[in-house]
Amino acid sequence: MKTTRRDILLFAGGSAVGVLMTPAPWRLITDSALWSENWPGIPRPARGAITAKYTNCALCAAGCAVRARCVAEQPVSLVGVAGHPLSHGAMCAYGLAGHHLPYHPARVTRGPVEEAATAVAGAMARLGANERVAVLDLRPGRTASWTYRRAMAAVKNGVYVEVGDVGNSAIDLTKARTVLSLSVPLLEGWGTPGNVIAARAGFHLIQAEAVESRTAAMADQWLRIKAGSEEALGQGILLALGGQSTAAAAEATGIPEQQILALASELKQNGPALVVGGAGSQSAAQLAAQLNDALGALGRTIVARRDAPVPDGWKKAAPAVDLASVEDGSIRVLLIDESAPGAYLPWSDVEPKLVRDNPVVVALGWTREGYGRHAQYLLPTGVYPEVAEDIPRAVDSVEAVFRMAVPLVQAPQGVVKPEEWIAKAAGLEVGDTLRERADAIHKAGRGTLFTYADGKSVATKDVKTDDFWKALQAGACWMDEVEPAKRPAAVKVAAGATRQAAGSANDLPLVAMLTEAPSSPLLSKIYQESNLKLGPKQVAIHPDEARAAGVEDGARAVLETLAGRIDVEVRVDASVSRGAVLVARRAAVLDVCGAGVRAKVVRA
Amino acid sequence: MISEIKPIHAAKYGMTIDVDRCNGCGACMVACAVENNVPPAHEGATDRKGLTWLRVYKVDNGEEYPNHRTAFVPVMCQHCNHDTPCVHVCPQQAVDLDPATGVVGEMPQRCLGCRYCVAACPYHARYFNWWDPAWPKGMEKTLNPDVTPRMRGVVEKCNFCHGRWHAAKQLAAAAGKLAGEPVEYTPACVEACPTGAIRFGDLNNAASEPARAAKEAESFRLLEKLGTETKVYYRSKREWVREIAQAPRPRQSGKEIARG
Repeated sequence: MKTTRRDILLFAGGSAVGVLMTPAPWRLITDSALWSENWPGIPRPARGAITAKYTNCALCAAGCAVRARCVAEQPVSLVGVAGHPLSHGAMCAYGLAGHHLPYHPARVTRGPVEEAATAVAGAMARLGANERVAVLDLRPGRTASWTYRRAMAAVKNGVYVEVGDVGNSAIDLTKARTVLSLSVPLLEGWGTPGNVIAARAGFHLIQAEAVESRTAAMADQWLRIKAGSEEALGQGILLALGGQSTAAAAEATGIPEQQILALASELKQNGPALVVGGAGSQSAAQLAAQLNDALGALGRTIVARRDAPVPDGWKKAAPAVDLASVEDGSIRVLLIDESAPGAYLPWSDVEPKLVRDNPVVVALGWTREGYGRHAQYLLPTGVYPEVAEDIPRAVDSVEAVFRMAVPLVQAPQGVVKPEEWIAKAAGLEVGDTLRERADAIHKAGRGTLFTYADGKSVATKDVKTDDFWKALQAGACWMDEVEPAKRPAAVKVAAGATRQAAGSANDLPLVAMLTEAPSSPLLSKIYQESNLKLGPKQVAIHPDEARAAGVEDGARAVLETLAGRIDVEVRVDASVSRGAVLVARRAAVLDVCGAGVRAKVVRA
Repeated sequence: MISEIKPIHAAKYGMTIDVDRCNGCGACMVACAVENNVPPAHEGATDRKGLTWLRVYKVDNGEEYPNHRTAFVPVMCQHCNHDTPCVHVCPQQAVDLDPATGVVGEMPQRCLGCRYCVAACPYHARYFNWWDPAWPKGMEKTLNPDVTPRMRGVVEKCNFCHGRWHAAKQLAAAAGKLAGEPVEYTPACVEACPTGAIRFGDLNNAASEPARAAKEAESFRLLEKLGTETKVYYRSKREWVREIAQAPRPRQSGKEIARG
């Protein structure tokens, strides 16, 4: 039999069709999917003994109690501690992923530690009569803050500059029946999340804001005011309470005069009332204090709070001042502690305070996204949850508290402890300051200790000194005794996270939203992979403004302010008021918004 | 000889989400990603190509200020109990409806990446791995050992925290419970929700919180007209929220937000 070409083709074709009728090719596809599942590109989660550790979140002053699920000593997830008297088991999205921070792509682990020490020592030796050595503390109220104050008292012309301290007044939301928030993000990171949520059902919330923020969306009433007119509204309410005309306020805010009168009346009649706001300027803060005074809030919803005790030997310390009170061109050596997330002052506010010729600026931080961009020396520090540190008081914590973030993972080699480094530079000898503080608190004998593992409270005086310290190291919270509500000596109700909006130029007013950048890379879920929040490199504008600027949703653009320009991505959002541009707060954005908070969006 | 045979009742796990309590903080989204080893976004990922097993949508009533109202609606796999679309279309039997738990499961090892299920899902709750999963250097140490990371080219979605269910089952077995008996556990999103808006439990257990809440007058399910009998119930006192839940693509004024 002769095999023809036709036979070969028929055989080949038939075989191909026949093979498709068998499970072989389908099995091959399935198996290839199975085999490639374990290819080395996919990380294998580590295994080990599963344990629970307790700590306190150090990402903001709320200091929420945390239970960490650890696998072979490595935290793999965090969750709130149920039953905590202040945080009530709640945590925010940032806190839930806080254990990722040591692995942030912008992490700094090496720096010129010795060179910086030499430069600081040299500059301090040559310090002129009118020149200063300054510490800029972005997170005042900590034990480390006391060390900085002591260090600045120990050096020639030392000055301690603090930003964002809440002072000795606290807000008692549980006592408030009506709350007026002047663009303060009351429900999105302003206070302790669990505490605010627990108190929320008890008060009527009126949110006066130019954009529909999450707080505005969840408020009982949203007053859409013109961007930057918070002060005008406050002034209008004050005038209305005094029976005077509010026509000017109505014009400035875009709110009808009658509505301002009704608002003032509601605040007066549905008390105790509280006005939260006034972050933009000194005058705004004073106005908020005046309003609260007029409404009888002082001593009721805004109360005096004691400090947690400190050792007597620490009280020889430099006074805390704000940056505005420091003379321009006077700081020769500036040491900035930004190891923990805190407030940020635009560089354009800081720079004029430095001497013109060769100032020495040392930033101590864990990421290069803050002042490290401007400083000559960026020294690497540990980051939560690598370091032991105490957390400053929260704005809504009525009692003094002392709680620590406990190291859950080891800090990389080569990082410095800002407190020790600055003390050494100032020639101040310090020991274990956290332990000293804990001993001082224990010695005072006040308050109770709440331990997280068993959820029990015990009187401080019933605990031995060593046990008190051990408990704090294992995740515990000391809370002061509750005192009868007293009128505070000074009011700082604006403290806590705030939004900015002000200005008077022709461009768009700018409203800065909160982000806790840099945060875990996993936070991309809520801004990049969904539209829930504004991302750190995004701005949002109304569709009309987008059309006017010639930009579309998702387009690259440039944000221009009086202080500079920055590349951004545009999001078109109808919930932003016409005439405003919404940006997320981060160091680079705040730098260009320093000189004036008017901005405009232009095509890239 | 077996003297007594105990009847085993299958569970039907479900959720209730109180839309009026959700403040859109996103804690559930992050907790879900942490628990289930969902990687951070690839540089090129957008809201269309991201991996969010649970996504909180901001929706509004479409009115102008001062009548403008907004709500936040968390949406995950709705675990359809009837005519489950993704199960029907999968050519690889990579999706199944577990009769013991009522959970719609996804087996990425079997998935071919055809994305028929993504197209079929009326809730836009299934996500495709467009890129290799990647974590910043060192961050892979924080992965949950109970959940295997998925590869590029497969679909994934919410499974009511299968790893936690498995752990709870083992604990129950150790305590003497029979295999197949319902166990109690808490998914990560429920645990993380600071307002207590999300509740989870066995819908077959009349005493459970979701079973009770599902019967309330203000309770509703997404796209009920499809008859998929989902196991995620929502609740809102606001009528416009209940109405919007029946729209195929909820709208935020100015732009559509529900993207699959």
